[in-house]
Amino acid sequence: MKASLRVKRYNPEGGGKPHWGEYTLDGVSQNDSVLDLLHRIKWEQDGSLTLRRSCAHGVCGSDAMRINGANALACKTLVARLGSGDSVKIQVEPILGLPVVKDLVVDMEPFMEHYRSVMPFFINDESVPTDGRERHQTIEDREKFDDTTKCILCAACTTSCPSFWANGKYVGPAAIVQAHRFIFDSRDKGAEERLNIVNEQFGVWRCRTAFNCTNACPREIEVTKAIAEVKMAITSGIV
Amino acid sequence: MASASKQITTNQNFERYAYMFMRLSGIALLFLAVGHVMIQLIVNDVHNLTLQFVADQWSSWGWRAYDSLLLILAVPHGYNGLRNILEDYIHNERLMRIISIVLTVFVIVTVIWSLIAIITFDPASVR
Repeated sequence: MKASLRVKRYNPEGGGKPHWGEYTLDGVSQNDSVLDLLHRIKWEQDGSLTLRRSCAHGVCGSDAMRINGANALACKTLVARLGSGDSVKIQVEPILGLPVVKDLVVDMEPFMEHYRSVMPFFINDESVPTDGRERHQTIEDREKFDDTTKCILCAACTTSCPSFWANGKYVGPAAIVQAHRFIFDSRDKGAEERLNIVNEQFGVWRCRTAFNCTNACPREIEVTKAIAEVKMAITSGIV
Repeated sequence: MASASKQITTNQNFERYAYMFMRLSGIALLFLAVGHVMIQLIVNDVHNLTLQFVADQWSSWGWRAYDSLLLILAVPHGYNGLRNILEDYIHNERLMRIISIVLTVFVIVTVIWSLIAIITFDPASVR
């Protein structure tokens, strides 16, 4: 089949404005991913096309982009999902809400700053168990934060959030998901500190439950539900 | 090993209570506002919605309480929604603070003024 791609291009060095690059590819298979098509453009038509990718299998989270208006990982989005028949039209843009460095590459630093702000690491200063081995946890306790351990920090959720678009100070869904992962871990002792961080003006209360984050997550994490659980923990005082 | 819940204490903060107010008042308004619309515009035909109708209704303190509750919940609910929308677009903190103060004063004056109207209204004066 034939694929017609519109790719948002931007080169800060040339002083030019963002514009759409139009590309046509023949011999495209339904099983090709959008990343495969972008590779073909870069390798066969325009070597200056700039994008991030690493594992190409939906694990590293490098290639989150806006595909046909919705955030997704380019490597996990197959042509079959975007159209069928003899031709398919695909529009690719960088994720919104973060400064564009070049073409499809955005500056992830504001996102990472929010990530670091929730202290996404294990906190427990108590002495190690007497047997000197691991801190035990029930299956039920592990289950509480199982979903949020799946986050790969691709930023698809945060950059699909209208509250984040409106104000970049909002800590964003991804950082709250990371906070959730530790807040609800029975072995962790930093829940109160983290909850006070996301209880701030630009914390969880900026979430308007638009559900864009849940739709965008390539790992199918129930992001809005996790945010609601954090809100509930703050209001009830029970974790 | 039993599943354990932790008790935690978080800081008090305006946004948290504003969020809770929006959710709780939203549920109450679903019944109060829909009920109000049903009674005023559907059960009673909109063409019969006269001062006499209001006087008859407000001769009962129950209806005055209903309307007062609707007023007390709806105006701050709308105010907080507007404040949230404005905060999305106005990133100048000083300007936003001024707007918030003006809106807060407007809401307080509106609620008090309207409550005085509901409470001091004399149905007999209409007849």
